[in-house]
Amino acid sequence: MSVTTVFGSGGIVPSGIAVTGVSRSFGSVLALRGATLTVPAGSVTALIGPNGSGKTTLLLMLATLLTPDTGTIRINGHDPVTDPERVRAVMGWMPDTLGSWPSLSARAALQITGRMYRMTGEQAAVRANELIALTDLVDFADRPSRVLSRGQKQRLSLARALVHSPGVLLLDEPASGLDPAARASLRQLLRRLAGEGTAVLVSSHVLAELDEMADAAVYLADGRTASPEQVAAAGASARSWRIRSLDESALERALATPGVVGALVLVLGVDQLGTLVQVENEASAAALLHNLVLSGVPVCDFGPAVGNLEHTFLDLTRDRPARHSSVVVNPEVTP
Amino acid sequence: MNDRNRLFLTGLWLIVTLELRQRVRGVSWYVLLGVFMLLVGIVTFLLWLATSAWLSGGGGVFSTIIFFVLLLGTLVSPALSGNAINGDRDAGTLATTQVTLISTGQLVLGKFLAAWITALAFLAAALPFLIFAVVLGKVSLGTISVSVLVLAAELGVIAAVGVGLSGILSRPLFSIVLTYLMVAALSLGTLIAFALLGTATQQEATSVSYQVVESIYDEQTGKQSDIVCSTPETSTYNVPRFDYFWWILSANPYVVVADAAPGSFDAGGHPTDLFGQIAVGVRSAQVPPELYTEYNGCQEAANGYADRQFDSGPTPQEIYDGAVPSWFIGLFIHLLLGAGALTWAWRRTRTPATHLPSGSRIA
Repeated sequence: MSVTTVFGSGGIVPSGIAVTGVSRSFGSVLALRGATLTVPAGSVTALIGPNGSGKTTLLLMLATLLTPDTGTIRINGHDPVTDPERVRAVMGWMPDTLGSWPSLSARAALQITGRMYRMTGEQAAVRANELIALTDLVDFADRPSRVLSRGQKQRLSLARALVHSPGVLLLDEPASGLDPAARASLRQLLRRLAGEGTAVLVSSHVLAELDEMADAAVYLADGRTASPEQVAAAGASARSWRIRSLDESALERALATPGVVGALVLVLGVDQLGTLVQVENEASAAALLHNLVLSGVPVCDFGPAVGNLEHTFLDLTRDRPARHSSVVVNPEVTP
Repeated sequence: MNDRNRLFLTGLWLIVTLELRQRVRGVSWYVLLGVFMLLVGIVTFLLWLATSAWLSGGGGVFSTIIFFVLLLGTLVSPALSGNAINGDRDAGTLATTQVTLISTGQLVLGKFLAAWITALAFLAAALPFLIFAVVLGKVSLGTISVSVLVLAAELGVIAAVGVGLSGILSRPLFSIVLTYLMVAALSLGTLIAFALLGTATQQEATSVSYQVVESIYDEQTGKQSDIVCSTPETSTYNVPRFDYFWWILSANPYVVVADAAPGSFDAGGHPTDLFGQIAVGVRSAQVPPELYTEYNGCQEAANGYADRQFDSGPTPQEIYDGAVPSWFIGLFIHLLLGAGALTWAWRRTRTPATHLPSGSRIA
């Protein structure tokens, strides 16, 4: 998929992030094996993977800090290896480690960061004020950053990534440490930035949250990105649905009746939140609901037990080697 | 100045000011400078008494204060510069700077300049006392300018080594300790190596003497005749060969400062300041020992001790003038060391990184 944007004088510049076949090893540890992904301008893409799957390594490469062993990366058409300066001018990066100059206030830190992007003192001061308001740091802006709480530092870190209004935004675990209100405003902010044409790549463990803001997801496991076919297969595979009824015993009876539960449905059990059933696909879920309602069960809640991203993620990470054989780039580990 | 240079200097100065605001601002820093000034004040007063400076001039006081600043600079500078880069990496502020338009060159040079400026603050704090020493008199303009410039250069070298090692090694504690060890190796290690190597390299020296066994002494003329001479008496002994190793001392920062200052001697050829004393000591090590000496008492007796020299040896000034100055070699080695450390640090800090030191995160 190639996304292009037309700029001013008619030149066509590819925008967003394009990663093709990127591998990287640290000594004997293969951190990434042929990762491939695209983040078009104006969209939010979630980067999902278990701990140690290479998410941070990938983001470090996109942030011009690390060279890939093989493969190519393009940020708005520029190569971070050969032309890091161009990439840095258009890329904002929020690391997973919260670093801030401890004796400087949030305002001073943002102003200095602005000047590191070659703004004048005045421009940097104006931008710092905007970002302080945007990230809701007004009350803490003039305190030394060492007294800020984790969530406040997190917001300062986000503000710093936005100083030069980057067209490509890389966020490594941006939501950790944020309270629900701050999470909600982060979500709104990212949606707004994407609406303004920014390409956003977010890595997070909080999958339910990514579900709400991401247009697309990239699954990374063992340094490999899952192919679209795998994602589609995993997303369509059997998953748990939760059913809650006003009359639990009626539901139980109905589920025990042979005609109601189709061949593709398996009752898993009952927990505090309701009854869990495994349904092969959405069509059989619809059929099950239809049958339950026809049998007179007062259903008040009927839905997937886990979010889309989480379901796909769990399914992809389950019995990984067999499923991922098609994207293995390292022949030794091919089963 | 073209646009590119202006951008480079603006960014460089931004890093310098950021470093200074980060590292040395605050009450504790001023307390440290205050304590330093107090110490220099006490030292100045005691030196004034000890050298009778109101009679002999301020040379002794001046040179000792310069050494005192060098001592304090070498003691404090490693702690302030030895974690400049890896400390930022630990605090997570290095990578966030590296993703901006600040180049690695600006980052490393800026940190070095900030560390140097910090060390020069000690020189500035000692300025009132240096002026006092100059006012006492007999301190030449040459001594003032050369010793202050060479001292500033030496402080810069330590700052460069500290910042360089902080970029080369990944652990701050280790790089600070190694910077201290470098300073110790140069300041003390050179002395120890010189003394040990010199004394370990003993060489056998021979002295042959002929003594008068019997003679007739004419009381009128005071001359001896019919001298019967002894057979040659040969004795051997070991002498240390410091002249092989004097160059080691040229790498000592104190020797560099002392040797660089133009020698200042009194009428009797004796040095009037600490610089001169150290320089004479170091330069006298260049003179090889005499491995064969012959004393012919008979000959002396025959010509009536006419050409016997009651010579107390060369004066310190003669030794000083007769030997090779070595400070520029030492200074050159130091500058090379500092520049090498910074270059290595620059290579290690460059991004995108191709290689990560084991166990280190670049974020």
